[in-house]
Amino acid sequence: MSVEIASPIPPPTAEDARAVERRAVLASMRHVDKYFGTFHALKDVNVDIHAGERIVICGPSGSGKSTLIRCLNMLEPIQKGEIVVEGVKLGVDMKRSNEVRRDIGMVFQQFNLFPHMTVLQNCMLAPMKVRGVAREDAQKTAMTYLERVRIANQAEKYPAQLSGGQQQRVAIARALCMNPKLMLFDEPTSALDPEMVKEVLDTMIWLAGEGMTMAVVTHEMGFAKAVAHRVIFMDQGEIVESAVPEAFFANPQHERTKAFLAQIL
Amino acid sequence: MVRTFGADDMLLLAYGTQWTVMIAAVAFAGGIVGGLIVALCRTSPLAWLRVPATLVIEVFQGTPLLMQLFLVYFGFAILGLNVSAWSAVALAFTLHASAFLGEIWRGCIEAVPKGQSEAAFALSLSYWSKMRYVVLPQALRISLSSTVGFLVQLIKGTSLASIVGFTELIRTGQLIVNATYQPFLVYGIVGAIYFGLCWPLSLYADRLETRLAGARR
Repeated sequence: MSVEIASPIPPPTAEDARAVERRAVLASMRHVDKYFGTFHALKDVNVDIHAGERIVICGPSGSGKSTLIRCLNMLEPIQKGEIVVEGVKLGVDMKRSNEVRRDIGMVFQQFNLFPHMTVLQNCMLAPMKVRGVAREDAQKTAMTYLERVRIANQAEKYPAQLSGGQQQRVAIARALCMNPKLMLFDEPTSALDPEMVKEVLDTMIWLAGEGMTMAVVTHEMGFAKAVAHRVIFMDQGEIVESAVPEAFFANPQHERTKAFLAQIL
Repeated sequence: MVRTFGADDMLLLAYGTQWTVMIAAVAFAGGIVGGLIVALCRTSPLAWLRVPATLVIEVFQGTPLLMQLFLVYFGFAILGLNVSAWSAVALAFTLHASAFLGEIWRGCIEAVPKGQSEAAFALSLSYWSKMRYVVLPQALRISLSSTVGFLVQLIKGTSLASIVGFTELIRTGQLIVNATYQPFLVYGIVGAIYFGLCWPLSLYADRLETRLAGARR
């Protein structure tokens, strides 16, 4: 929870946060309700994600934060409200929905690399099969991103031969190979040994510096302070508080936020 | 005329063995195709595919193989179709193998961690790409030993084809016994031939299982 962050980019100021909110909305959730059986997982959730914006979502376990970002790329169906990505309402026209979903990359807590493929093959599969990229081009792109996440020398290895931190960096590269406009991170460092958290956070900070739009579910508050334009706090399926990091940490408005921060910091 | 078991009878048994292997081979090959279809339907999110596949599996698992054989064999006659014993037997065993392999592979498909499908979905892979490149290769590895194990069951099961008059290994043995009155010797040899076919496969299945257990960490 308290990894030292040495960020090469300056943390966004309140002014930066306001500027990014004037940009076009890339994805939005409107009055979204989500149930697992009778469990009300998301309650009237409203979020706008603007191009270039970096949002950190935090909250106690079971608060709905993972569910929120899983709904954004249709990994979970919603029961009420609407999710619009690049102007397309998800789940209505499946063809159009799947087209815009290609622009959303996702990184999972458990990496979910394909164990029977090499690192390189993991990165080449989707561009070739979904975007129809030629093999040589897919390989070139894959190597470029593997170099960016500093793991190109492991390209021919299988996931099981890598450490957790290395696997997660491969997972990031794999998502980037699809050339996404929005990257979703679902607790990307929660399954890692402490000494590997930093290398993954560093990779994500590099990505932030590249201007990627990111929605990150994490408990790493150092990361939130370093890169987020906005921190969203969720509890019991609701968005309780949404603020720029400075205000969020220095002056939380709600009791539940204060209690959570007291526990985690 | 009672004669003594001799070299000619060994040739007959070899001929019978050939038919036993043929039924098993055809049923296994057909079962691979049919089983894949059954397994994909059975794991489909679409109920109109899943329900019939479930029904097929339950019916074939819940009835004796011999009855399935009878139904197909005599079913053709009722439909007024004149098909050879070979065709009826081959079809019956293929259906049987499809249902059982379908159920084995359903379990293997479901044993592939859910995160794999989610990652494929998040990468926007189509259903077919997801199955072809992500799920089935992993399910195949898991399924190898039980699939070979089923092949052993199938080879032994072909002996039931003798009851509808198909001259495979057992039926050949019966015919020879009728002529030689040496049942113990003849059935001993027949048993040894079955064992010779099945045992190496069982050993192979065991080895695959050990290798799989080793590969899982």
